Amino acid sequence: MTLMTCEDARTLLLDAQRGRLAPEARVQLDAHLRTCAACTHEEAAEQLLSEALEARLPQHGAPPGLKRRLAASWPGATAAPAAPARPRWWLVPGLAVAAMLLLALPVYYLRASDRGAVMVAEAVNDHLRVISSQHPLDIESGGMHQVKPWFEGRLDFAPVVRFLGDQDFPLQGGAVGYYLDRKAAVFVFHRRLHAISLLVFPAEGLPWPRHDLRRVGGAEAYVGASRGFNLVLWRDGEMGYALVSDVDASELVDLATKLAPNA
Amino acid sequence: MGEAYDDRMARWRRSGDDELGREALAYADTLYNLARYLTRNAADAEDLVQETYVRALAAAHQFTPGTNLKAWLFRILRNTFVSQYRHERHNPTRGGLDTVDPTAQGAAPEQWLRGDLELDRLRKVVGEEIERALTSLSEEARTVILLDLEGLTEVEVAQVVGCAVGTVKSRLARARAALREQLRDYQR
Repeated sequence: MTLMTCEDARTLLLDAQRGRLAPEARVQLDAHLRTCAACTHEEAAEQLLSEALEARLPQHGAPPGLKRRLAASWPGATAAPAAPARPRWWLVPGLAVAAMLLLALPVYYLRASDRGAVMVAEAVNDHLRVISSQHPLDIESGGMHQVKPWFEGRLDFAPVVRFLGDQDFPLQGGAVGYYLDRKAAVFVFHRRLHAISLLVFPAEGLPWPRHDLRRVGGAEAYVGASRGFNLVLWRDGEMGYALVSDVDASELVDLATKLAPNA
Repeated sequence: MGEAYDDRMARWRRSGDDELGREALAYADTLYNLARYLTRNAADAEDLVQETYVRALAAAHQFTPGTNLKAWLFRILRNTFVSQYRHERHNPTRGGLDTVDPTAQGAAPEQWLRGDLELDRLRKVVGEEIERALTSLSEEARTVILLDLEGLTEVEVAQVVGCAVGTVKSRLARARAALREQLRDYQR
């Protein structure tokens, strides 16, 4: 076996850390590290530096306003799931063990963690489509008595909406949209200068959230936030409801309470 | 050439700009983070990211489906940054790429003592100190460290910064050595 110099060894430390070293080179590097305290120190320092960068370097997320502008500028680019998290190289050995353990877990356990996330993401996407569209509404109106009849013949269900809008939350209009695999009635309310989207859709067969539930009116609702937007999800009989906006969470819950069945 | 371009556009239409847009927008946080560390302030970072997306949209037909979209966006962002902030190259900061030789450590006894201290300090370093140290490095050093941190391969980093793969390896090693040197300076 060829003896490795310190200079050679140090050029390989990062590759070894990333798990991208060929087996033969890895063997040579390990042999060198067993006999070279200086390079062993270097390996430890590089490992600690990676850990510090990965775990402690502050991450700056894009401001919600910038994201909204970007979504509006790229046609159709309103549905933006979070990008994959960056890799944590220093976790490579641990991840290998974790992956083996995960394979032994029941599949339903993994899927349970995604429950609700799909519905939350879709609700926010639909809201973004509304606020970024130049013509978000199919019908503009000053009152629900004009908007609800407009949906007749356009949907295969009759949307039930318990609140008609008022001075605090005026109804701006409605449109036909899609929520995951089904059509949805989209109502747009306003709160000061903020748009609030209400999606009404058949509730059956959807992966409703099972966590972060609380009473909103007479409904058990999911109240949460995603990508800078607050949202409330609940069921009322056969209908499902998603309320999304960047207004304060308490104000959104106020409107949800008006829309949900009475306690 | 015209036919190839039309084919590409047709493929884009079939696959849908919506899909590309959705995927591109999913990298807004990642791009903004890189922009913040390159520009060193929030307002410039917002402008840089916005300009990046404008350029990406204009060049969407040049993107090859199936290749790394994140790396493609990084390249546009980095090129935009270099073209708009080129003056920084004439005003390099401390801890630049050529300030530390990564192979010149660890022989003398006093350096051993210093080495042990370094490991201890690296374990205790806080986020604010790392951010300050990283921000003080040259633009090239910050870029390779952040792109490596984002999981880009050396080939992809080379494509983003426009250099040879071998250059990326040595540049990254020098950048990390410079970062460690900066962290040592702060904690003395």
